[in-house]
Amino acid sequence: MRYLRLLGIFMRAGILVELEYRANFAVRVLLSLSWTAVTLIGTTVLFTQTGDIGGWTYYEALVIAGLFTAMGGIIQALLQPNVQKIIEMVRLGTLDFLLTKPVNSQFMASLRHSQIYSVTDVLSGAAIVVFSLSRLGYAPDTGSLAAFIVMFVMALLIVYSIWIAMATLSFWFVQVGNLTELFSAVYDTARFPVSTFQGLLRVFLTLVAPIAFITTFPAQAILGKLDGGILPLAVGMGVTTFVASAWFWRYAVRTYSSASS
Amino acid sequence: MIRKYAALIRMSWSISMAYRAEQVVWVLTSLLSVIMMLVWLSISRGGPVNGFTSGDFVAYYMVGLVVRQLTGVWTSYEMGNEIREGTLSPQLLRPIHPVHRHVAANLAEKAMRMTLLVPLVSLVFILTPDARLVLTPWSIGAFALSVAGAWAISFLADYAIAILAFWTTQAAALAQVLYSLRIVFTGIIAPLQMFPAAMQAALNWLPFRYMLAFSSEILLGQTGGDRLWFGLLVQWAWVAFFFVAVRILWRLGARSYSAVGA
Repeated sequence: MRYLRLLGIFMRAGILVELEYRANFAVRVLLSLSWTAVTLIGTTVLFTQTGDIGGWTYYEALVIAGLFTAMGGIIQALLQPNVQKIIEMVRLGTLDFLLTKPVNSQFMASLRHSQIYSVTDVLSGAAIVVFSLSRLGYAPDTGSLAAFIVMFVMALLIVYSIWIAMATLSFWFVQVGNLTELFSAVYDTARFPVSTFQGLLRVFLTLVAPIAFITTFPAQAILGKLDGGILPLAVGMGVTTFVASAWFWRYAVRTYSSASS
Repeated sequence: MIRKYAALIRMSWSISMAYRAEQVVWVLTSLLSVIMMLVWLSISRGGPVNGFTSGDFVAYYMVGLVVRQLTGVWTSYEMGNEIREGTLSPQLLRPIHPVHRHVAANLAEKAMRMTLLVPLVSLVFILTPDARLVLTPWSIGAFALSVAGAWAISFLADYAIAILAFWTTQAAALAQVLYSLRIVFTGIIAPLQMFPAAMQAALNWLPFRYMLAFSSEILLGQTGGDRLWFGLLVQWAWVAFFFVAVRILWRLGARSYSAVGA
């Protein structure tokens, strides 16, 4: 309860900061929309040459593109600003002030900041998903909707855990900013069905860098095409990565000896 | 002038040598091209797509990778900071225009990236015998000319945006818009031949094609004769246009520069 109230305060502070720079806000929204257009054009041009990619039709693939856009928005809005801040705080030693506050340090460090204009991506992503489903003439039943919600929450957990783990690495390494670049590069594969990729790469994207769990599987869930075994696998994956990243954070904080001291 | 450039490039080279890990990441950001190549390969498994065989897609994207790294620019990002923080001021007092320092930094980085990329791309060509290029003295010469033009357009367009930082704090956002346009219209997401005919006709006159796809097309033997000459002509016309635009913008911008924070 206390944590929810804190979260509300963090969000309000974030929005107030954004609203101070309105021109910036408008430009950022436009920028979000132009990137969404890039994603849409990328999928569409493929389908001007073929009827399906990796067994997915145009509107099915657009569901994935929509989820890619929405999840990208969540990353930009919540994860990226905080991870950047954590890296900076570790480098400057100002993390000390955060650690001495009477709240869970991971909660505080990972949710304190936000970039509210990236919500544009979440909204346009959702719009793309709804539009594609309606063009398919398909309304998900309660079962697939429930499966989708579970899969999406697990996708959030996985993405959150990866970002926290990357931020935690900054306790030992200076150039972690590069690592987030690498994540963004690999995340680009999430705009297409994982079945597009062949052989080892597909295995890699499913199990090592769990990109398939972020867009492909949730899309399958909402389309009612999810394999029975995937759901428990996703739950196991989400919970494991979350617990592991939380443990990693605690371990790092325990060994942390502050900068310039 | 040449001696000055040699010194500037040596300086920039040493700076990039010091941050070598950073270079690897820059190569990694080309991953979108590789991803798009794999997606097109999965489609072309059933047969050629619009005249492109699997080998053509590999050749197209591998050449594209090299061209993209050769023409990459980030000056607007750096200069935006320099203008905002006022560190541009001492540069303006030196007897050499700041643009030369930016050009030198850019060229030194290029050399650095090629030492990584060229062996990698060569390996892909060796492993993919289907990926064929048309390598004649003629095509190589035209390719080199087109890459120089592609770099000039990219650099000058980016520099024009960089100069806008004299007036607006949103120059970085503008650079990003340009970047998103480049991903679609320079031929990263798809070879331009995959776009509808009307769009291709328009792209023949716009600068985007000449920032990347045009060079790849030359080495793949997809553009020759009159179409090659036409392309080079339009490309260098754009170079001239951006050159004049940058000169005018710089003159106006330097006048209104008030050295924030200095």
